[in-house]
Amino acid sequence: MPRLRYLLTKLGQVLVTLLAVVTFNFYLFHVLPGDPIRLLARAGNLQPEDIARLRQLFGLDQSLPVQYLVYLRDLATGNLGMSLTYRQPVSDILAQRIVNTVELLTVATVLVVVIGIVAGVVAAARRGTRADAGTVIVSLFFWSLPTFWTGLMLIFILGVYFHAFPISGSGTPGVFYTSPIAQLEDFLPHLVLPSLTLVLVDIGQFVLITRSSLIDVLTEDFILTAKAKGLSARQVLWRHGVPNAMLPVVTTSALYVSLVVGGAIQVETVFSWPGMGRLIYDAVLRRDYPLIEASFLLFAVTVILVNFVSDLLYLWIDPRVRNA
Amino acid sequence: MNRWRTTWTLAVTVALLFTACSGGATAVPAAPSPTTGGPAAAATGGAPAPAATPSSQPLRIGWLSEPDTMNPLTTYSTEAVEVLQLVYDKLLDYDLNLKPEPELATGYAYSSDGKSITYQLRTGVLWQDGQPLTADDVAYTYNLIHDNNLGQYAQFLTDLTSVQTPDPSTVVLNFSAPQAFDPALVIPIVPKHIWSKMNAKAIESYANDTPIGSGPFKFVQWQKGASLTLARNGGWWGRPLPAPATVTWILYGNSDVMGQALRSGEVDIIPQVPPTVYDGLTGAPDIKTLALPSFSFHHIGFNVSTNPKSGGNPLLRQLAVRQALEYAVDRNQLVQLCLAGHGEPGDTIVPAGLTDWHLAIPASQQLNNDPAKAKQILDAAGYTVRDSSGVRQAPNGAKLEFRLIAIATTDEDVCAAHLFQNAAAAVGIKLDLQTLDTNTLGNTVYNSSAPNWDIFVWGWDSGTPDPSYMLGVPLCSQIGGNNDVYYCDKQYDALYNQQATTLDPVARKAITDQMQQMYYQNAAYLIMWYQDKLQAYRTDTWTNWTPVPGGLMFNFTRDNYLHIRPAH
Amino acid sequence: MAAVAIVDEQDRSSLAAVRANIGLAWADPIGRVGFFLLALTFLVALVGPVLFPFNPADVGATAASILQPPTAQHWLGTDELGRDVFRETISGSQISLLVGLLATAISMLAGTVVGLGAGYSRGPIGALMMRITDFFLVLPTLPLIIVLAAIIGQSLSVIILVIGLTSWASTARIVRSQVLSLRERVFIDRVRALGATDLRITVVHILPNVLPLIFANTVLVIAGSILSEATLAFLGLGDPVHVSWGTMLHYAFEVGAAGRGAWWYLLPPGIGIVVVVLGFTLIGYTLDRIVNPRLRNR
Repeated sequence: MPRLRYLLTKLGQVLVTLLAVVTFNFYLFHVLPGDPIRLLARAGNLQPEDIARLRQLFGLDQSLPVQYLVYLRDLATGNLGMSLTYRQPVSDILAQRIVNTVELLTVATVLVVVIGIVAGVVAAARRGTRADAGTVIVSLFFWSLPTFWTGLMLIFILGVYFHAFPISGSGTPGVFYTSPIAQLEDFLPHLVLPSLTLVLVDIGQFVLITRSSLIDVLTEDFILTAKAKGLSARQVLWRHGVPNAMLPVVTTSALYVSLVVGGAIQVETVFSWPGMGRLIYDAVLRRDYPLIEASFLLFAVTVILVNFVSDLLYLWIDPRVRNA
Repeated sequence: MNRWRTTWTLAVTVALLFTACSGGATAVPAAPSPTTGGPAAAATGGAPAPAATPSSQPLRIGWLSEPDTMNPLTTYSTEAVEVLQLVYDKLLDYDLNLKPEPELATGYAYSSDGKSITYQLRTGVLWQDGQPLTADDVAYTYNLIHDNNLGQYAQFLTDLTSVQTPDPSTVVLNFSAPQAFDPALVIPIVPKHIWSKMNAKAIESYANDTPIGSGPFKFVQWQKGASLTLARNGGWWGRPLPAPATVTWILYGNSDVMGQALRSGEVDIIPQVPPTVYDGLTGAPDIKTLALPSFSFHHIGFNVSTNPKSGGNPLLRQLAVRQALEYAVDRNQLVQLCLAGHGEPGDTIVPAGLTDWHLAIPASQQLNNDPAKAKQILDAAGYTVRDSSGVRQAPNGAKLEFRLIAIATTDEDVCAAHLFQNAAAAVGIKLDLQTLDTNTLGNTVYNSSAPNWDIFVWGWDSGTPDPSYMLGVPLCSQIGGNNDVYYCDKQYDALYNQQATTLDPVARKAITDQMQQMYYQNAAYLIMWYQDKLQAYRTDTWTNWTPVPGGLMFNFTRDNYLHIRPAH
Repeated sequence: MAAVAIVDEQDRSSLAAVRANIGLAWADPIGRVGFFLLALTFLVALVGPVLFPFNPADVGATAASILQPPTAQHWLGTDELGRDVFRETISGSQISLLVGLLATAISMLAGTVVGLGAGYSRGPIGALMMRITDFFLVLPTLPLIIVLAAIIGQSLSVIILVIGLTSWASTARIVRSQVLSLRERVFIDRVRALGATDLRITVVHILPNVLPLIFANTVLVIAGSILSEATLAFLGLGDPVHVSWGTMLHYAFEVGAAGRGAWWYLLPPGIGIVVVVLGFTLIGYTLDRIVNPRLRNR
């Protein structure tokens, strides 16, 4: 049962990694800064008795291991603390913002993956030609663009100069929509520039990985066999080449998530998109530590889980594992 | 960032102004009228509102930061105060001339000893949930704040002894001493029938997500991180009803984008515009830019604490060093480069916007822009350059090197800090700059038991349109309170108490002038500028904006919201 | 085709291998473009500040000098303090490059040491080092960088340290997998039989063979570090005193350069970043194909 064993191993690894991330988070926000109450007290005007009360509440008068257990208990019960800026439970704030980021990243990722893979396939098929070299250079060029600067340029050119698209927010503010269609009609133009930025910056990676993976595959024996059988070049490419080339692409997706999280922070900041990226940025500016801590944990956990899903996908499509 | 500073006050003592007298006009709001404990005096002031009929048009305002909460009694943010002043009413308010006008109280009168104020309440006022507003609500609110030392308004009620409600339309506030500043002008009234269900502890963390007030607008929704909306309250007692059907504040992450939003018509007004964006908007089609004097300044503060536990560099306690730093700086350059020219060079602690009270130091006596003089002073005090570092040292080797802190997100302060560094270096003083977030800087500066800093850059907004507020900051009694530089001068304190009891405005001004002069010469503050309040608004959506010193919005008065009309 | 310079058992001169790889990269058209871009960058960074020194204290006189378009006096106009943008951009190149190179040095050092250790040690220590590497690989980089900057501080040295500490894992993984395959080679057994210690084997015999790979990876890490510094500075978490390209863009964004049409403030620092990063990326991509035999035939 190699498949099951693989699954269980991966699951075990994920759980260990999650625990490691949680512990790392604890270290980062509770041990490294020295005195977390000092951080909380920075919000201002805490009387000595308030500080003592907080200390007790967070178990800070206990030893470090006990504090750690208190921390784990809080996490398990969904208690992520109170935001210093909003005076609200952090979990409430996260819940409001995460939807916006998911919307943005989903659209961007779909576009990146689809366009990137197609462009990579086309480039691999035309290996050695000028078009191929051009694709490689253009991909590397886009890869070198700083995400935030690309966003600024798009604002400048398409937003300010040509007035083509809105340059901030996820919708016209203060408007009450008459129907879901109306909301969508307002939402989509606002989505264009932020997602375009993400697509431009991240697409190069997919193009290059697809291209190199496909070139690899196209030199294998079974491709020659397929050609000898009389299949057209297009059939060979799309039916036999591409599916087998997808494995490394899936592995890269995991790395992509880590990158795109960073991209989301920059894009949401530049375009005032009300999502998780902008939330962690604002929280860092204000040193709202409970909010920073929860946001960081959320990002890390998301990346780990996406990696896990891609490992599962690997399980599904890797012929070696499948056929063993 | 600025009003927030008022919350560090533990006790602002502005009392001791006795009543008895000649109705000489003073600039003190709610000046007690002559009285023998008799009939209520009607609050005057307030131009009659022009006929603004209710419209279906929305008012959209752009801002760069959001409120912290919708709880008017625990908030520390200017944005929250701005929104909640429309949802809640006060007993009295400021009109467009910044004079008191009636609101929930139609009239008021001081007792003969000045320690009690009786307010006549308006009848037929309803809360936004339909319940009637009575004197009980007023009493509840004032007692709640006072008994629990709740929020930023507690400082105005420290002398409150009791609140009486002889009938549902009358409230009597009793104080232990006469109050020069009437707290009725700032305290919002909250509904007892909602708030009394919670105990004080719960109120402290009460978010008040759907605030119910008695004001001209009622709360609709707040999408955190995006926008906050109020709608006109058709049941409001005031007439005429305000024209805007809704008021929406829209959060922008960046001032440039906010300026773009004004150009594209996404917002109608941006009431606080940074200088460079303001200049970019000047002359844009259908947009008017307006600069108004403010009641604010930005300053450099020197740690002059004599507390043995203070971590501040003791060399700053020498007047010569501080005065040299004052002479090193060119305030005009700061205004030109950090405010793009939108402000005045600063001198004394009472902002220039308070025209009746501000003392302008004559140019020849200003401690400003004379690096040669600065070097002279330092030479005379024994600080000379002895090595290649260019930094002056005392004979015992102590270097003139200080730590400088500023708030990273306040661009004009960071700009000023850099220019200050250059200016100080030019006269042989080294400043090491570190930028911090607001909370960290506040806690560093206000660590009164052991302040461990040398020099900071920050700002003040005057909490009231009366000089006592700013003059009261450097009092000895304010150490542990507002006094951010730990200045203490008994003579200054004596003069403060004197001016607080002097009714004759001419005599009072003589004293306040003297105080301003003293504080200026002692150079614990280096007041860099009095910034203009910059706003920009569209001319094709709303009209009848009335310029008021202090700004169209984010000011002591809310009346611009009530007076504007659709442009068509 | 082009000879691939991998160090074999007899030839231990890895520096020669690296040099040969560089030559191969130069021969490749994509690599050559990269070299030109880098040459341009280093020319600007080294010679520029000498010819056109930038004095941060050299501010404008009045408000009228703020954000002015290019003139004969200021070739790229002025910034929000009336300072010359052309000289500021040249000066910024030094900071951006310095941070990028130093952060990479830390990253490469840490990555190589951990990678060697994880690859060569058998048993629990090796496994632990690998786990730690995988853990750092999975942490999202930018959130980690900004969190560390917020907690530790915002000076230049902290930024260098933080960027270095968040980028070593990919190097470690590459080194480790190479070491794993090298470990099984016959000549290692021979050397061990002759009495060489593990440390000696690692440093003298294995490391030289990994060097070309490390070198290729270093180039790409430099590109990433420069981007990280620019992003950090843009987000306002950079060193407030030293003006890098990212810092310039931060202030450009803050003071509304886009709305003012101040393209002279927005374009030069951004183009600078793109040129440098592209230069390193092109060379890194080329070296990657040279060093990695599987990619050889592209």
